[in-house]
Amino acid sequence: MQLCKLRTTCVLMITGMLLSGFSGNKLLAADAQLDRIEVYPAELQLAGVREQAQLIVTGHYVDGSIQDLTRVATITTANAEIVTVQGMVAYPQADGQGTLNVEFEDKTATVKVVVTNQQQPQPVSFLYDTLAALSKNSCNAGACHGSPSGKGGFRLSLRAFDPKLDELTLIREDFGRRTNSLDPDNSLLLLKPLMKVAHGGGRQIRVDDPAYAVIRDWIEEGCKMDAADVARPVKIEVYPKSGRVLKKPAVQQQLSVWAHYSDGSLRDVTPLAVYSSSDVEVADVDRNGLVKGLKRGEVAVVVRYLEFIESSFITFIEDVENFVWNDAKVNNYIDVAVDGKLKQLKYLPSALCTDEEFIRRVYLDVIGILPSLEEVTAFAANQDPAKRDKIVDTLLERPEYSKFWALKWGDLLRLTSGQVTNEGVYKYYRWVERSFRDNQPYDEFATELLTATGSTFSNPAANFYRTSKDMNDCVETISQVFLGARLQCAKCHNHPFERWTQDNYYGMAAFFNRVQRANTKRTNEMFIYVSQSGEVTQPRTQQQMKPWVPGQGDIENPNEFDRRLDFASWLTQPDNPFFAKIEVNRIWSQVFGRGIVEPADDFRDTNPPSNAVLLDQLAKDFVENGYDRKKILATILKSRTYQTSYQPNNFNEDDTKYFSHYQPRLLSAEQLLDAICHVTQVAETFSGLPAGTKATHLPAPDLVNNEFLKIFGQPERQTVCACERTNESNLSMAIQFFNGPLIYNKLKSETNSFRKSITDGKDNTQIITLLYNLAVCRNPSETELKASLDHIASKENRVEALEDICWAILNTNEFLFQH
Amino acid sequence: MSRIFHTFCVALLLASTVKAQDAVSFRADIAPILINNCLACHGPKKAEGGYRVDTFERFLREGDSELAAITAGNHDESESLRRIKSEDEFERMPLEGQPLSAQETALIENWITQGAKYDAEDPQAALATIVPAPTHPAPPETYPRSVPITAVTFSPDGSQVVTGGYHEVVLWNTADGAMIKRIQNVGQRTFALRFSNDGQHLVAAGGAPGRLGEARIFSAATGDLVSVLGTTSDVVLDAQFNLTGDHLAVAGADSSIRIYEFPAGNLVRTISSHSDWIMAIAWDNEGKRLASASRDKTAKLFDVETGELLVTYSGHNNPVKGVAFHPDNNHIYSAGGDNKVHWWNSADGKKAGELAQGGEVYKLEKIGGVITTSSADKTIRQIDAATQKEIRNYAGHADWTLSSAFHEATKRIAGGAFDGAVKIWNAEDGAEVLTFVAAPGVK
Repeated sequence: MQLCKLRTTCVLMITGMLLSGFSGNKLLAADAQLDRIEVYPAELQLAGVREQAQLIVTGHYVDGSIQDLTRVATITTANAEIVTVQGMVAYPQADGQGTLNVEFEDKTATVKVVVTNQQQPQPVSFLYDTLAALSKNSCNAGACHGSPSGKGGFRLSLRAFDPKLDELTLIREDFGRRTNSLDPDNSLLLLKPLMKVAHGGGRQIRVDDPAYAVIRDWIEEGCKMDAADVARPVKIEVYPKSGRVLKKPAVQQQLSVWAHYSDGSLRDVTPLAVYSSSDVEVADVDRNGLVKGLKRGEVAVVVRYLEFIESSFITFIEDVENFVWNDAKVNNYIDVAVDGKLKQLKYLPSALCTDEEFIRRVYLDVIGILPSLEEVTAFAANQDPAKRDKIVDTLLERPEYSKFWALKWGDLLRLTSGQVTNEGVYKYYRWVERSFRDNQPYDEFATELLTATGSTFSNPAANFYRTSKDMNDCVETISQVFLGARLQCAKCHNHPFERWTQDNYYGMAAFFNRVQRANTKRTNEMFIYVSQSGEVTQPRTQQQMKPWVPGQGDIENPNEFDRRLDFASWLTQPDNPFFAKIEVNRIWSQVFGRGIVEPADDFRDTNPPSNAVLLDQLAKDFVENGYDRKKILATILKSRTYQTSYQPNNFNEDDTKYFSHYQPRLLSAEQLLDAICHVTQVAETFSGLPAGTKATHLPAPDLVNNEFLKIFGQPERQTVCACERTNESNLSMAIQFFNGPLIYNKLKSETNSFRKSITDGKDNTQIITLLYNLAVCRNPSETELKASLDHIASKENRVEALEDICWAILNTNEFLFQH
Repeated sequence: MSRIFHTFCVALLLASTVKAQDAVSFRADIAPILINNCLACHGPKKAEGGYRVDTFERFLREGDSELAAITAGNHDESESLRRIKSEDEFERMPLEGQPLSAQETALIENWITQGAKYDAEDPQAALATIVPAPTHPAPPETYPRSVPITAVTFSPDGSQVVTGGYHEVVLWNTADGAMIKRIQNVGQRTFALRFSNDGQHLVAAGGAPGRLGEARIFSAATGDLVSVLGTTSDVVLDAQFNLTGDHLAVAGADSSIRIYEFPAGNLVRTISSHSDWIMAIAWDNEGKRLASASRDKTAKLFDVETGELLVTYSGHNNPVKGVAFHPDNNHIYSAGGDNKVHWWNSADGKKAGELAQGGEVYKLEKIGGVITTSSADKTIRQIDAATQKEIRNYAGHADWTLSSAFHEATKRIAGGAFDGAVKIWNAEDGAEVLTFVAAPGVK
């Protein structure tokens, strides 16, 4: 019992904190001048005894700002016998016409209401009311009765994707024990979530919840299934639509959700919809659809009603004291788009990074390795104002560019000798590398991969279907890499949080089920071809599926020889909503360490872009320039946004997603190993590969067995998920830098950089300067130099002292991080 | 509609008006309060705050707070009472629920003042098993709609067919389906109906899902309640007399079998071995062994004398819903979710054969040498218990058949369906002789 008490105290404290923060809704300042008030919906039809309507009152102010007045405006009915209002919800009383009067301050508005069908019963719909009520209360969530084996002997289909099963379970299973239509309130289905009967899931419903009434009435009506001709919902609409900007302190917004039915009718489903916020730090949304802003930023409030999902984007802004826009340099459209967002949210971009920071940053991003001493010196000495742009262009033509970017795509395409054989992996790698070297347009690259046939030796792109081993693997790989959608869930059931349905999954599969894989007489070779028959059956409905693509739907007359051609052609259309966006976002995330959509391969309603305008413009540029990957990368690198300092200012410290300043990140495993070799000038040898091969040029991780790379997050390439490459730090990493064999051996090497310098007769200052330039592309500061020289002076053994200094430099964040 | 019905507990509470000096009974007054208000959170499934009230002993034992839950004679040092009476809604029990009524609180307070005495036998017994049998609400005069027929049987002379209703058992004329009698004071649903060997008693086993299980013994002649056995916290699904009729076994959703001497009603043995509901039980021909069918996907065989588990049969790989002994006493029939009847050797649990059914089998009954099964394909099947031959099947129901019965002397077979319909057939020629909806007031 003491525990209970502690818990409630915590809850109180949390509630108290929330109230005192950004969320406490207040009206705009008293001097804000109200222009007019608007009520949604402006006209209302309530055609049935069960109908109701959430009203939303919006105040429009003279200065253009708006705020939600739903909870403060006065609504009265002029015809209480026809329609009544309770808590901003209108309820029908009798057939007829009525008027609702809305008042706030000196402004008024009216809503005309037409009430019909009050004399006839309106049965609860099993499919569209009861199942929605169960979803609303999370009964059928994945962690509860929606799990594959159910909970406590009671199993529902996940988010009601299988109404037939639910019908059986709710009404008939175990002799119909869950529902009691002679005494509905005594149904186990209600007693359990009320906790009147012990329920493992605890209390989930209240008697005054709208969902309770729905389930109860459905039981009382005899647990009826819907009539065959009942109107079905075809879409939902959320009000307000995306784009509303709310300014502190008026940060509350009530939502309303209207379902459109197949017979053209509209119904308010606000009480049965489920709400979630894409960023709970920015805004919270409660079960009634009331959004409360918590801090400045943007959220997508995702609204789900049965399988329908819509979002409303809301931006929360606030005045920041002393904020003055700093007229940061604008290099191209990227900066315009970024600044637009920063200005709105009142973040100030950081200053430009130094030349030393820039050269290190851009080398690591474009070619994966650090610049040589000569390159650093030459860049510092160069007085050309366009030198940053020029070095970007130069780097993109370096051979290391194609090798380094082939490493990134190698992750996505799962290049491993384990999956495509030792011989195959080199060919596949060279194919990817050549695509980057020749700057093959991205649409051609994708088409070549997706439609590949033939020998994996003579056409290495065909390895795509070697790593994607079967139909399911194809659907999941292709959707994640090219559509940015994780479709695995939809294999067994409709995606619980997204639009993707099980039908979609098998519709996509119908493009790829005919791909055949045959071993040939040549060892390690595989032959990929397409058979001329074979259909996909949806396992739940047993329907034969037509090839299907998002947006367009079923492909009625697919190519009779190879359906993949239809898919590739749809994918690479200039107006494809996924293709270009996903690739530019991926490129962006490679150089910023964070996508505009993050994670970069996880595009969904619940994960909106942090700057939609920016993403749209990048994608448009990419398409208009013929899917030129080098060009779009150059444009990004030449933007001021890319070149801002990692050091925040007072007005952007807490920004992590709008690109007001550069976010430092740990070098990737391969970059780090190459960088250590670069500073010590001791190359790493990879057995079986030519001497001098860099870690960033390895075709596949399983060609070598390098402990250091594994510890620092080199992926095994078992999945197509970008998340497989982790840069989270761990203890093993620290141990490697503390006393790991790799660094120890390089520091002890007789031919390493500082020993060679000693041999060449360099003095300590020269050697220390060299090490700093190799590691962090700059000269040591006076303090650093003095400390280093003092350390050498204090030691008997000069070379051991230099080992210490080099080791210390390798352990600085400035070396370990890209910044 | 709901106003007509009250759960047994509410009725019980209203009945007990208490003055401070009245002696308060734990089993009659306190236990029902705990069951209805506290047990959901402080029970075996969810012991919030480390505190449970599912037995008298646990009710007295302190929770995580380490404060005395109940101090006999001193209600000021009884943490449980303090939490019930607290003015602070974040502290008051039940949390987030309706506070107890002043009357209920006074009962608990007086019981503590009077020494917090226990007036049942076993302080470790589940509360549900010690509360006095409730008086059930009356059934509706006429039903708004039918209820699934989960139990059906014939009267000993075959002239009446008996069905389970809603809070009642109804007797119908086998010849014309006319309603003869309604026996009241029955649990919400009935899953098994059995007449005693002498025909004097009728057992109705059932309860309220998730709340109560019991077997009620009625006088067959008057319909008066004689006794209540096997009270548990979830429905009883089967009750069976041994061949000589001097013992009654009761089993259900609490996964245990309870064996009573009959009609004395004293508990002889409790057998707990299954991990899920027991759907059906069967005695062997000598009254020495009991077989059980369970939702845990096994059928089991026990020694009645010792309670020892003799054999586990796992051949169905699905919930097992019916069980019966072969006339040779060496084989056992079982049936269930795999749409099959299996028979297996009672000595070693080895499968001896199977017979396909048209759908999931909900019940399997054996009367004399005849087995009847009722299943999801809307069909009753009559099987020769000695030869496993299907003698005849009885189709015609419009919904799942959930229950069946056979009357040897009159050669009648009855089948009850999910939609509330009961059909009676002539077992000699398979002809349907009667169909009616076994719900008073529903045609």
